[in-house]
Amino acid sequence: MVAEESVRVVRCGGSELNFRRAVFSADSKYIFCVSGDFVKVHSTATEECVHILQGHRNLVTGIQLNPHNHLQLYSCSFDGTIKLWDYVDGILIKTFVVGHKLHALFTVTCAEDSVFVIINKGKQDIFQLVSVKLPKSSSQEIEAKELSCVLDYINQSPKCIAFGNEVCAAVRDFYLSVYFFKKKTTSRFTLSSSRNKKHAKNNFTCVACHPKEDCIATGHKDGKIRLWRNFDDDKKYTYTCLHWHHDMVMDLAFSVTGTSLLSGGRESVLVEWRDATEKNKEFLPRLGATIEHISVSPAGDLFCTSHSDNKIIVIHRNLEASAVIQGLVKDSNIFTGLMVDPRTKALVLNGKPGHLQFYSLQHDKQLYNLDIIQQEYINDYGLIQIELTKAAFGCYGNWLATVEQRQEKETELELQMKLWMYNKKTQGFVLNTKVNMPHEDHITALCFCNAEKSETPTLVTASKDGHFKVWILTDDSDIYKKAVAWTCDFVGSYHKYQATNCCFSEDGSLLAVSFEEIVTIWDSETWELKCTFCQRAGKIRHLCFGRLTCSKYLLGATENGILCCWNLLSCALEWSTKLNVRVMEPDPNSENIAAVSQSSVGSDLFVFKPSEPRPLYIQKNISREEVQWGVFVPRDVPESFTSEAYQWLNRSQFYFLTKSQSLLTFSTKSPEEKLTPTSKQLLAEESLPTTPFYFILGKHREKQDEKINKAFESELVQLPLTENIPAISELLHTPAHVLPSASLLCSKFVNSLLLSKETKSDEETLEDTDTEEEKESDDSDEENDFTEKILDTNNTDLGEDLLYQLSKSEEKELRKFRKVDYSWITAL
Amino acid sequence: MAAGGGGVADPLSPAGVPCAFSPLNQAYFALASADGQLRVWETANNRLHQEYVPSAHLSGTCTCLAWAPARLQAKESPQRKKRKSEAIGTSNQIDLLALGTAVGSILLYSTVKGELHSKLISGGHENKVNCIQWHQDNGCLYSCSDDKHIVEWNTQTCKVKCKWKGDNSSVSSLCISPDGKMLLSAGRTIKLWVLETKEIYRHFTGHATPVSSLLFTTVRPPSESQPFDGVTGLYFLSGAVHDRLLNVWQVRSENKEKNAVMSFTVTDEPVYIDLTLSENKEEPVKLAVVCKDAQVHLFEHILNGYCKKPLTSNCTIQIVTPGKGKKSTPKPIPILAAGFCSDKMSLLLVYGSWFQPTIERVALSSKEPHMCLVRDISNCWAPKVETAITKVRTPVMNCEAKVLVPGVPGHHAAIKPAPPQTEEGESKRKLGENEISIEERLGALDIDTKKEKDDLPQTNSFPVLLTQGLESNDFEMLNKVLQTRNLNLIKRTVLRMPLHAVIPLLQELTKRLQGHPNSALLMVQWLKCVLTVHASYLSTLPDLVPQLGTLYQLMESRVKTFQKLSHLHGKLILLITQVTASEKSKGMTCPEQKAKLVYEEESSEEESDDEIEKDSDDNWDEDDEDKESEKDEDVDEENEEEEEDTEEKDEENGEDRDVASEKELNGDSDLDPENESEEE
Repeated sequence: MVAEESVRVVRCGGSELNFRRAVFSADSKYIFCVSGDFVKVHSTATEECVHILQGHRNLVTGIQLNPHNHLQLYSCSFDGTIKLWDYVDGILIKTFVVGHKLHALFTVTCAEDSVFVIINKGKQDIFQLVSVKLPKSSSQEIEAKELSCVLDYINQSPKCIAFGNEVCAAVRDFYLSVYFFKKKTTSRFTLSSSRNKKHAKNNFTCVACHPKEDCIATGHKDGKIRLWRNFDDDKKYTYTCLHWHHDMVMDLAFSVTGTSLLSGGRESVLVEWRDATEKNKEFLPRLGATIEHISVSPAGDLFCTSHSDNKIIVIHRNLEASAVIQGLVKDSNIFTGLMVDPRTKALVLNGKPGHLQFYSLQHDKQLYNLDIIQQEYINDYGLIQIELTKAAFGCYGNWLATVEQRQEKETELELQMKLWMYNKKTQGFVLNTKVNMPHEDHITALCFCNAEKSETPTLVTASKDGHFKVWILTDDSDIYKKAVAWTCDFVGSYHKYQATNCCFSEDGSLLAVSFEEIVTIWDSETWELKCTFCQRAGKIRHLCFGRLTCSKYLLGATENGILCCWNLLSCALEWSTKLNVRVMEPDPNSENIAAVSQSSVGSDLFVFKPSEPRPLYIQKNISREEVQWGVFVPRDVPESFTSEAYQWLNRSQFYFLTKSQSLLTFSTKSPEEKLTPTSKQLLAEESLPTTPFYFILGKHREKQDEKINKAFESELVQLPLTENIPAISELLHTPAHVLPSASLLCSKFVNSLLLSKETKSDEETLEDTDTEEEKESDDSDEENDFTEKILDTNNTDLGEDLLYQLSKSEEKELRKFRKVDYSWITAL
Repeated sequence: MAAGGGGVADPLSPAGVPCAFSPLNQAYFALASADGQLRVWETANNRLHQEYVPSAHLSGTCTCLAWAPARLQAKESPQRKKRKSEAIGTSNQIDLLALGTAVGSILLYSTVKGELHSKLISGGHENKVNCIQWHQDNGCLYSCSDDKHIVEWNTQTCKVKCKWKGDNSSVSSLCISPDGKMLLSAGRTIKLWVLETKEIYRHFTGHATPVSSLLFTTVRPPSESQPFDGVTGLYFLSGAVHDRLLNVWQVRSENKEKNAVMSFTVTDEPVYIDLTLSENKEEPVKLAVVCKDAQVHLFEHILNGYCKKPLTSNCTIQIVTPGKGKKSTPKPIPILAAGFCSDKMSLLLVYGSWFQPTIERVALSSKEPHMCLVRDISNCWAPKVETAITKVRTPVMNCEAKVLVPGVPGHHAAIKPAPPQTEEGESKRKLGENEISIEERLGALDIDTKKEKDDLPQTNSFPVLLTQGLESNDFEMLNKVLQTRNLNLIKRTVLRMPLHAVIPLLQELTKRLQGHPNSALLMVQWLKCVLTVHASYLSTLPDLVPQLGTLYQLMESRVKTFQKLSHLHGKLILLITQVTASEKSKGMTCPEQKAKLVYEEESSEEESDDEIEKDSDDNWDEDDEDKESEKDEDVDEENEEEEEDTEEKDEENGEDRDVASEKELNGDSDLDPENESEEE
């Protein structure tokens, strides 16, 4: 079933959604956001992803609706192209090749056929706003090289450019430049205070233009918002200040009508300034994370905020959040590494500050954030927060151990370990034991004994204070309640070295703890030191036991780039190799171990069995960046790759996280196979359901539609006829230089296009004329003129068609017929 | 997917609410409730995904629903070959949901857009729609109704493709064969239609009541010898209203056999049926049947030919409430649906009310014949609007959680008695001796109290009270003594208290030190006194280390801030107090002089005690200098013993005190850290 393709690295969801402002469709039904190399189309009602627009080969840096066709979307990318999409069907319409690296995209209604982009010309940090003329052509790929510079030396962020009523405003550092399209001039306004005071953080951060009036709003680093007016005069310009934010204003947006201004920043509060006055403020607080971008739907009924924790909140006009589009949270550092929750099979890692996020890989969406720290998070720069540093699941997901720490100074370490039990009755985690300062220094490793036969759950913590502690679950019942709680069972150390890693063997009988360069093996029954291994090859960075048939091996990777494999039976080094291992992960379903090494060019993957020093599979350069974490995720349904190189992917899938926090995995399916539908697309036509509104308006509209349809149908009938007319083919197929002049051809050609008379309609008209001839004499001339007009307007198609083709006798009759009185028609 | 039934009023209508899992990976669970609303739940996190109220929900409630087969996202790419961009993981999307209503119309609802996609009315049914089935390939939709007709819809044009009379009575259920060429319908009898010609291919009879569910169970015929035409040899399953038997039928090439091949027996009318298709001959069919009486029956059977006896289930799952208090009995929680996960090893269970169901993934184990899951769904009614937006779950943190802080037992490994090595028997014997000594202690208590009464009238009550309090563990009595702030009083009390009460007092102090910080402040004074005065006694105890381990850990953790400084401070204080004490004692008679005469131990025993102490000292993990001093101490103690022997002969008080104080000076080194707490 699966074609044997080469294994490729594929990005697996969770790319950055908050890189640029999200864009609403004209009817507010859809919201567009950039996501890595793609543009995602989400439904604002259901948060679901409706389409993924893919085609760019590099990061998408800007999206805008086509101002001339609101069913189309422009996108620009670092790959130097602007693409035009039909977002309703998810189809790429056109590609414009610009050539430069495009940093942002703007469209303006008044500019007919050009868009504005930010490009980087020459030096590193000098950016230009240029307008690009998009040539009209029917071909798919068009070169658009006609660039004209609008503003020079601007900030690269699209937040620092705004288009208004025939003006374009750009901010950078301490000045605001305004370009007037009509005058083609630029004025520049510099903030004076910036020169005098050293710490006046007057830097401009963002800019927005009023949609109707001549007003520009700018945000500043010190939290002020300035509203600039009269800026077409270099001397008489004025500005007013709005100040609520205590920290940098991250983004500004005017509502569609311009009556209110929205601002947001690190406080994660959306502020709505009504009528641009300081008194009339509305707030939407507790949005969870720093507001990065604000955008407003063209219909005016929705806002949305993009947040630093990779989410987009859709907000109603009355400041009520209605939907959240949440990607993999990327705000904080990943300390916990990647884990798999045995219960939900979800990927677990650091999420929002103080939370663990559960991310479903199958559905590529976040399940939930588990609030571990349970303290209000204060969004402020420079605050030292409690961080969730370690987490581990034990006993088939029945236990969760978490470690949180906060360190303000060298000596003031706050540590807390929490042990959560999964309560089946309520289907949630319940805190069982809280340990303050489990160790005197940072905890470096945390692991549960996950052996099947172990009776008492066991947890081991290793710390920099030179000890490792063994915690076991014991009975904590008293006369009031029956309970279990964790207590420390054993404290071990080895010559005051820092304990750096710990891990249990598969059957739980041995515990390996590494103390800097030395690996110690302890019997888990008696906690006796069994033996030590020392390779003198640098501190141990990773440690893991082999599994299944390879359970007699212990692997250790050191910081000096040596990978060692010890045989536990002979207590000797089995093999060692030079490999700078960054990530080493055992596969829970097989003997395989994946190691990712870091070299100057990129990261390489090695999959091997501990019993053989030769790797099963090598993939060079899986990522340009450093790979920080990896994990094997068991597959629900095993794959069946027959080729030996890919057998390691049969039962588990390897996911890894790079330094820039993109989650990647391996896939063998070719891109084509992924793209072409395996089953036929189910495309059901949308048919309008009947609503009460429809009953009122519908009938009226139905009649109109019918009329149009009739006309349309008749056209459709005519179309095949035109193809058969010899005059057309003659005209089209004769070379132009042979043809006589157009004036000669014209009448003949037009005549040939006319329909030959239809007998039925002719008869009808004739009958009519017969009956109405009788009244002919009674009528005045004035009325005749009037009726003629009616006739003309009513039967233009029919009349004209017929007029030219009637024979002479008929023409005579028609002349008579023109004098006939039709006044009775008006009476009808 | 199995389909539930519809209305409630009709006695012959199937039980349960119309609900279904989305195809492929069961990401969603759609449920059409009796109030006419459609709710779609996310199965992975039990969250309400969306809610939809059809405009005519009151007149035409939803009677059946079916998910459209998963479609792949439209990916038109004019330059496909050039493109190297990487696809996002899941490209196939579940979208359309077909809803049949009581008035005969069929609605197509798009779960992605959250709006009605289209409405199939014209030329359709005139009566209640009983069952809807999507064709897996060509996008056709089949529906059957109480108006006796089966309709084939073209969903692309939303028009009727074909409509034919399916039965003489209402048609209650439909199922499309795995190859997509045949259609099963159930009215009075079960009929197999050829879809192309709409002709009857086979008849099956056997159910007395309307058939509520039809499902094909196999995709391959059991014997691979004869050529497979797509349907011959396949098994299918049927369940009926008010029928506790599920019948299995086989489509045979010859048209003679019309009866069921075998049957499964369940406890009540089936509400929802799901099964895993068996792909080959060896693989058993797994069947999950949700019954009206809130039980799920699991069957696992390889279908091969006849079986006269109805099969009973391999496993039964029930979900019950925990039952508040001891009296109330647990009540069963209704189960709405059960669906197999894609790994076929776990089951998704939907239970609770249809208004707020709970969706749980339960791992199946083949061993247990009966699974009873206790679930508390009482808090499910709490509003979840907030979590729907923020997607934050707050795990429960209540006061029942145990808190371990440094110094509390359990935070650090308990200091166990020295590992019994060769002289295990001996140590046991010693323990026994200790136990006996309790009686002796009681005896000694009386003597002591008497003595104290006689000798020291001014502080008579305090040591007595203290000892009595410790013996009886009387909280108030102890409070009276221990909450004194007078330093001199404390000193005198400690000095005059009987020796056997020292360890209980220390344990009591440890307990109180772990408590409120204010009381700890007072206790520190006591502790300081006890340790300085009775250091010599403590150093002689063989099992001191395990007995005072927690106290040691407590102090260790409390003096952590300036460890070295407090070590030094403690040592200096000890020295000074000992020196002053020895100077004072020169002129004073010791009240405990007589107690010293109790020594009757043999020297050999003493030595063994020392050994134990040495061993246990190693556990203290102390600095090297401590160890050195311990050695000194050992030597001293030996000397001391000799001297004590001589003591008995000499009975010279003054000298005796000197020696004792000397001994204390040296012997205290192993208790140094304890003394350091004094400065706090």
